[in-house]
Amino acid sequence: MAATFFGEVVKAPCRAGTEDEEEEEEGRRETPEDREVRQQLARKREVRLLRRQTKTSLEVSLLEKYPCSKFIIAIGNNAVAFLSSFVMNSGVWEEVGCAKLWNEWCRTADTTHLSSTEAFCGFYHLKSNPSVFLCQCSCYVAEDQQYQWLEKVFGSCPRKNMQITILTCRHVTDYKTLESTGSLPSPFLKALKTQNFKDPACCPLLEQPNIVHDLPAAVLSYCQVWKIPAILYLCYTDVMKLDLITVEAFKPILSTRSLKGLVKNIPQSTEILKKLMTTNEIQSNIYT
Amino acid sequence: MASRYDRAITVFSPDGHLFQVEYAQEAVKKGSTAVGIRGTNIVVLGVEKKSVAKLQDERTVRKICALDDHVCMAFAGLTADARVVINRARVECQSHKLTVEDPVTVEYITRFIATLKQKYTQSNGRRPFGISALIVGFDDDGIPRLYQTDPSGTYHAWKANAIGRSAKTVREFLEKNYTEDAIASDNEAIKLAIKALLEVVQSGGKNIELAIIRRNQPLKMFSAKEVELYVTEIEKEKEEAEKKKSKKSV
Repeated sequence: MAATFFGEVVKAPCRAGTEDEEEEEEGRRETPEDREVRQQLARKREVRLLRRQTKTSLEVSLLEKYPCSKFIIAIGNNAVAFLSSFVMNSGVWEEVGCAKLWNEWCRTADTTHLSSTEAFCGFYHLKSNPSVFLCQCSCYVAEDQQYQWLEKVFGSCPRKNMQITILTCRHVTDYKTLESTGSLPSPFLKALKTQNFKDPACCPLLEQPNIVHDLPAAVLSYCQVWKIPAILYLCYTDVMKLDLITVEAFKPILSTRSLKGLVKNIPQSTEILKKLMTTNEIQSNIYT
Repeated sequence: MASRYDRAITVFSPDGHLFQVEYAQEAVKKGSTAVGIRGTNIVVLGVEKKSVAKLQDERTVRKICALDDHVCMAFAGLTADARVVINRARVECQSHKLTVEDPVTVEYITRFIATLKQKYTQSNGRRPFGISALIVGFDDDGIPRLYQTDPSGTYHAWKANAIGRSAKTVREFLEKNYTEDAIASDNEAIKLAIKALLEVVQSGGKNIELAIIRRNQPLKMFSAKEVELYVTEIEKEKEEAEKKKSKKSV
């Protein structure tokens, strides 16, 4: 234990465990009420994958039910906007299902009457080539829910002959580098891939000691363990809310094998993206 | 490491950072873009207008403010902090005029604002101002000036600069396009400011606000129509340039 100049007491971390472990054990024994509350909370935090038309839960995981050769996952609102304007508008995509979950940070909304600011997680496949899948995930998936999400989407024994591409954003202040964040050319793209992904990335790879967090990390780890070729494109930006320049930073990915053939009309996509920006502007008086 | 040294502003971290000041600079990036250009006979301030709520009075959401008849500033960052700084600067301008019977120079009032900001980075219990400002105007000697201040309290003179969201993109555009030709006439300088903003403003001319000061003239705020005229002219020039390019390649 150490005291600082301002009077705050800072506990020094100790791997050997705390001194008062025995006392804590007493308090930790569970009462039936605690168990009931814990079970209720677990039920509330369950991730459910629902079929589109019937709104019933899928009996097996999504990729066990439908064959998949290519799976593109967008996590976060900028990545979702990129796929919406550039990929989903260049073909006919059909919704196959959606994920419903609740945690302290968000509750997913119904995908039928979505407002642009609501969190959702939808799965789509290309009508002309139903083995190409797309996932738009603008909700936060908590740590305890990530494994459930993976199980419901990939299943416990996934096929290896598919390619996964993940797109997501992170704030540039999370990027660890010797340079100061002011001099970084944000937004910029970095890639991280699994061992089985043999194609070249369209941007430099993420250097150490930087790490990936949350759902993108969970998906990549899962793919690495199951030897599925997967690549994550991570955009470091200083504007985390929906922003035109951040979304356009994903453009180099359009030339990669993952997205080739899925994007047709780029100027039209840029127009659609601009429209998306204007409809999404949230009014706030704090910053001018 | 950062979390131990970012609670009190007066505390340096072991590697010499004042984290609160750096975090204040992140707050500036949350404000919409503002660009300032120093021409030969004109100074231009252009800002990205925020979308105003339906029931809100547009006139009360202003990013460009006059500090005196011959000096004005645009800011990016926390609205309330800007209001406080602007009020203090305005009072100082009048106080200076009454005391020494001369209007402030642009450098003087910039130094005043920067000193004020720096005080708040060295005071116990206070946080820095979360705004950057672009201050423009003409001094008595008729020379146009553009200064930029930031939350740390530094200030520098610039030929052209941008602050706020996507400032880097705008600054890079200005570095490429700020030439003697580009600021040769007042109109060209105004067009350069609008072109720079169009790089990052998402919905075109209707979201741009412009203000200019010409030598020996008061601040002029452009109406939406006047901005649209310039935007149309810029778009025409772009089309003509593209036609020429395609002719050449044929």
